[in-house]
Amino acid sequence: MSKMGTLYAPGNSIFHRMDGSVKMLLFAAWTIATFLFLDLRVFVVMLLVGLGLLLSAKIPFRRIRVIFWVMIVFNVFNTAFILLITPTYGSELTGTSTPVLNIGYNTINLETLFYVLTLTTKYITLLPISLLFIFTTHPSQFASSLNRIGIPYKIAYAVNIAFRYIPDIQSEFRSITNSMQMRGIGFRKGDAPFIQRVKNVTSIAFPMLYSSLQRIEVVSNAMELRGFGKHRRRTWYHMEKYQGIDYLVGTLSILLIAGSIWMKVSVLKGFWYPL
Amino acid sequence: MNQKSIFNFSTLVVVAIGIGAALYGFLGFFGFTVGPQTWVKPAIAFLTIFGALFGPIVGLLIGLIGHVITDLISGGIVWWGWAFGSALIGLFSGFVFMNKDFNVKAGSYAKKHIYQILIYGLIGCIVGIGEATLFDIFIMGEPVDKMAVQFWGAVLANIATVTVLGLPIVLAILRVNKKSSNLTIEK
Repeated sequence: MSKMGTLYAPGNSIFHRMDGSVKMLLFAAWTIATFLFLDLRVFVVMLLVGLGLLLSAKIPFRRIRVIFWVMIVFNVFNTAFILLITPTYGSELTGTSTPVLNIGYNTINLETLFYVLTLTTKYITLLPISLLFIFTTHPSQFASSLNRIGIPYKIAYAVNIAFRYIPDIQSEFRSITNSMQMRGIGFRKGDAPFIQRVKNVTSIAFPMLYSSLQRIEVVSNAMELRGFGKHRRRTWYHMEKYQGIDYLVGTLSILLIAGSIWMKVSVLKGFWYPL
Repeated sequence: MNQKSIFNFSTLVVVAIGIGAALYGFLGFFGFTVGPQTWVKPAIAFLTIFGALFGPIVGLLIGLIGHVITDLISGGIVWWGWAFGSALIGLFSGFVFMNKDFNVKAGSYAKKHIYQILIYGLIGCIVGIGEATLFDIFIMGEPVDKMAVQFWGAVLANIATVTVLGLPIVLAILRVNKKSSNLTIEK
């Protein structure tokens, strides 16, 4: 957790050299394309392409291992809840019902199992490009990219501040909890009864809030003294000229959006069920 | 430093959005499960607090940016439906700020403002989580019945957080600020 807020993994792949705003466009196009469909064929193709791109960026696997685990655990739980709460939901989509497993109050059918597989693949399809984006974009480049795709620079700067202050807030949080524990306020299981622990945890909120409000004062005064916000536009230290690869990926992203909308409207309209 | 306009993007507001989002984004990691895929996020209380302190636009942006940060760092995927849900909760919790006679910095408030914080918090939770639920049903393709369970779990959990954690902290700040601003001019 110590590296939180700076997930960036330095490297020299094609994605590291690509401009942040183009990666943002690719990320948006990929997300929109995934959102449009509920079709396993589309997701398998996209997932394979995405994994290929992820491998090409050569992000060290131990950095992204945890995220893969979170994703797997999430999907296992999501699947379990869907199967338990709506065991026959798949039939509503396909109109057929092939019973597989009796769970007492209802029967899980094959259509639902296939639906859950499709949904899980849909969620996993979102992962590769998202990882590419966070792990290959330098945090300082992030703000200039946001500004470049049309977000007002004051909001882009606010996003920049947010990313920059997460490590500070993290250490603040640690020192507050440590000093409270030294005074005998317990946070862990076994330290105090549950209700008391909830009260103890919420008591962190007040010092966290006050230190943040103080920080807001200090930082905004410092920025004001340096003339932040005087002009309607600003330049960015990390902004670079677009290269050939940026134009190429930008065009491909727009084609991806257009192509997937066309596919959705004319070819693959609903849920795909082969059996 | 007495701006009450909500569209005034002063440096203070820019920094408040940034640090508020960092706070909401970081504290978003902590929570405990109450239902299927549903967490009580104590961090929601910070939307109530920052909304009351800085207004609806700041609340909206803190909700959106903070939620995206939590998602990106913890799971790699941004759940846009829920991120916009957080944004809506932040927006609604800022409406109390627009009362002319409500000012956290000066510690001035009336009883009706407490009810407003609660009612806007309630509406915000229903609208925000309702939006997230509809998004998951129509865009993600989740089953309606499962999302209904998630909806009620999340709404009740968030309303409880706003009432038990958010409101008391806002009131405490108001009282502290009132104590330091009750000087009168002697004639």
